[in-house]
Amino acid sequence: MSTRKTKKAMTTFILMLVLAMAITACGGKSNNNKNEPTANPGKGNEGGTNNSSDSALAKAMNGDFKGKKVTMFGPFTDADEVKFNESIKAFEEKTGIDIAYEGSKEFEATISVRVNGNNAPDIADFPQPGLLSGFAKAGKVIDIKSFLSDDYLNKQYNASWLDMGTMPGAGGDIMAGVWARSSVKSLVWYNKKAFAEAGYTVPKTWAELMKLTDDIAKDGDPAWSIGIESGTATGWPATDWMEDIMLRTTTPENYDKWVSGELPFTDPVVKNAAEKMAEIWFNADYVYGGRKSIATTSFGDAVKPLFDNPPKAWLHRQAGFITSFFPEGLTADDYDWFPFPSIDEKYGTPALISGDIYAMFNDRPEVRAVMEFFTTGDSLKTWIQTGGVTAPMNDADPSWYPNDQERRMAEFVKTADTIRFDGSDLMPGAVGAGTFWKGMTDWVSGTVDLDTALKEIQTGWKK
Amino acid sequence: MSRQKKIRKSKWLVNIVLAVICLIWTIPTLGLLVSSFRPAADILSTGWWNILPHREWKTTEQIQLPKETDLKGSIVVNGVTFTDDQLREGVVADGERLIWENRRARLVMVQEKEWTIISNFTTQNYETVLGGKTYSITMPDGTTKTEKGSGMSRSFWNTIAVTIPATVIPIFIASFAAYAFAWLRFPGRKTLFVIVIALLVVPLQVALIPILRDYTSLGLNGTYFGIWLAHTAFGLPLITYFMYTSISQLPKDLFESAFMDGATNFTIFSKLILPLSVPALASISIFQFLWVWNDYLVSLIFLGSQPEVQVLSMNIANMVGSRGNDWHLLTAAAFVSMLMPLAVFFALQKYFVRGMLGGSVKG
Repeated sequence: MSTRKTKKAMTTFILMLVLAMAITACGGKSNNNKNEPTANPGKGNEGGTNNSSDSALAKAMNGDFKGKKVTMFGPFTDADEVKFNESIKAFEEKTGIDIAYEGSKEFEATISVRVNGNNAPDIADFPQPGLLSGFAKAGKVIDIKSFLSDDYLNKQYNASWLDMGTMPGAGGDIMAGVWARSSVKSLVWYNKKAFAEAGYTVPKTWAELMKLTDDIAKDGDPAWSIGIESGTATGWPATDWMEDIMLRTTTPENYDKWVSGELPFTDPVVKNAAEKMAEIWFNADYVYGGRKSIATTSFGDAVKPLFDNPPKAWLHRQAGFITSFFPEGLTADDYDWFPFPSIDEKYGTPALISGDIYAMFNDRPEVRAVMEFFTTGDSLKTWIQTGGVTAPMNDADPSWYPNDQERRMAEFVKTADTIRFDGSDLMPGAVGAGTFWKGMTDWVSGTVDLDTALKEIQTGWKK
Repeated sequence: MSRQKKIRKSKWLVNIVLAVICLIWTIPTLGLLVSSFRPAADILSTGWWNILPHREWKTTEQIQLPKETDLKGSIVVNGVTFTDDQLREGVVADGERLIWENRRARLVMVQEKEWTIISNFTTQNYETVLGGKTYSITMPDGTTKTEKGSGMSRSFWNTIAVTIPATVIPIFIASFAAYAFAWLRFPGRKTLFVIVIALLVVPLQVALIPILRDYTSLGLNGTYFGIWLAHTAFGLPLITYFMYTSISQLPKDLFESAFMDGATNFTIFSKLILPLSVPALASISIFQFLWVWNDYLVSLIFLGSQPEVQVLSMNIANMVGSRGNDWHLLTAAAFVSMLMPLAVFFALQKYFVRGMLGGSVKG
């Protein structure tokens, strides 16, 4: 009797387990199936033109959308969030549109859940265009060209920005978003006063840079301070170096192929770039703390030895945003930068950049107005004046920048022969935010040799 | 006599082992506490254990070498020859250490070990965390304005608004359910109970997107009610099971006699079960409270981080800034967020010790 009872209970339990699994499986399936686009990209194509009188922005300025709310989701938190909110305040006051910005450290993970859960924000702010292209392909993103004309966009942005914003959509290429905050990456920072006192000069070529590095070593200091530690993202500064050197040792076409996966990491071209990097990175006389400290030094702390008295290191390659990591009390007179020098004359001095692209998920007139507002330099004005951001828009006035250094960054991007977006942000996550970071870290810390590391990085493409 | 001694001895052993384990367990927290009172630059350069008295190399003398000394060749200091590598690492002889002070200036330090203690503490981290950071912003007209951040107070109250209902509601429901499963006879009781147990193994992550879709269509997203519901649902299986084990252990005779005296199920539940289950209720409340208080994922998905509803865990995560430049604030923020759970734990802790069943039924 009792055994029969247990048996019965057992059967019920197993049945329940199967049921539970079925429920789980269904949940997953409905995820994939219910990918119906939230809005048809072609649907709202009535506007098309952008005459100043009937544009959404003009209507908004008239107060047509007073009291409307536009939700926005992105990775700006803390200081960045305050600066962002501050720079849109004037617009909000004038138009009566409330832009509710929500910042999260987990933006990358959360945006997929939100979009798949039919809870997409009106506007999302992507620091990685690679992530956005997935949503564009699935037809979830509204085509900017459905309400902004080509002429207008060409007026606001350089062609290379527009090219980078064009992505394959569900039915043909679309303009997946508008570019806002950007940052230049090919910068080498130095301590202006100490540099002048020591009698060093800014190098224009790779040979001059290596000569300077060697001179500094002879004088008794390591030239470079390098750190790639960044929590779970450890390794990204190393990928930036690779990208910068790639741009300077091979054609832009090869760079594009490399970013799209056609040119494998195991190719001699990529290996050559890595070896160029190793000339500096793995020379104990050139790097502060030596090779072993690179992987354990936080990228934000790596810049600090430059400003010790006397400096413990002299050069630091990092994007423009690094100024927010400078020791407190530093003014623009204390530091300066020069472009990461050209290696092969043929390829000149390209600019590696990164930036935030704002994409639109819900098509409403007030959202259009806000998106149009984001194509204007005014939307970034306060932020530019506060410092730490370069505007991609053409109508941002150079006089807005708080100091010469930042003004020159904007100038550098505008005049560079080649502009390319940070490759690891364009590659699929498994590579660009996965094996690329990890492989570089393994190689730099000496766990594996270069060939093994490059093979390891390449495996990311198969995932 | 000797047996008693043995028992006492083994008790001592157990106590010592427990004390050691407790110590090891609390060391990281202690380190965090010490770090939260140190300036960021100090945390970077020295470990928190340096607040204890320790011996450190201190410079007693500096030797200026000739400026033209070649670093690649042999370097002569006080008549002894060294290599550059040796001087970088430091050469120890007779309790003195020779090490570069400034290679560029060819300055060598002679150091001796001395007892020191670090006493450079600050409450700046806590002030920033509680009072909010100040940001300086240049306005369009060129003036500089300082904006004060909100600090943790708002998200603290938000978290309380989320946590208390999200602890009380599931425990309330689960206690009823546990009583029914334990003492009521109704068809399908076993099956239902097995379903509840089976739900324990379903990870909550699989439910996120489906529930989010439902919430979006119902407009529950980003509301307190939505997150109470979510936490209640996710917490119910475990709490029901936990309460079941406790309630089903209560002596049967008690209820039978109460039933004989004409008590209804509700009377039995409220007059007998609840008072007798206070220790169980207290411990599961602590579990659920801690889980909800520290939760990040569920609030991230269903509540979001709009300042009006943002909970502490999210506020703390965002506090370090977009690029993590303010990592040192995490130490202080972690301690502030720990206060409430600690208070709850100590308030309810006595119930762990005091068993209410003591002596109510023999043997």
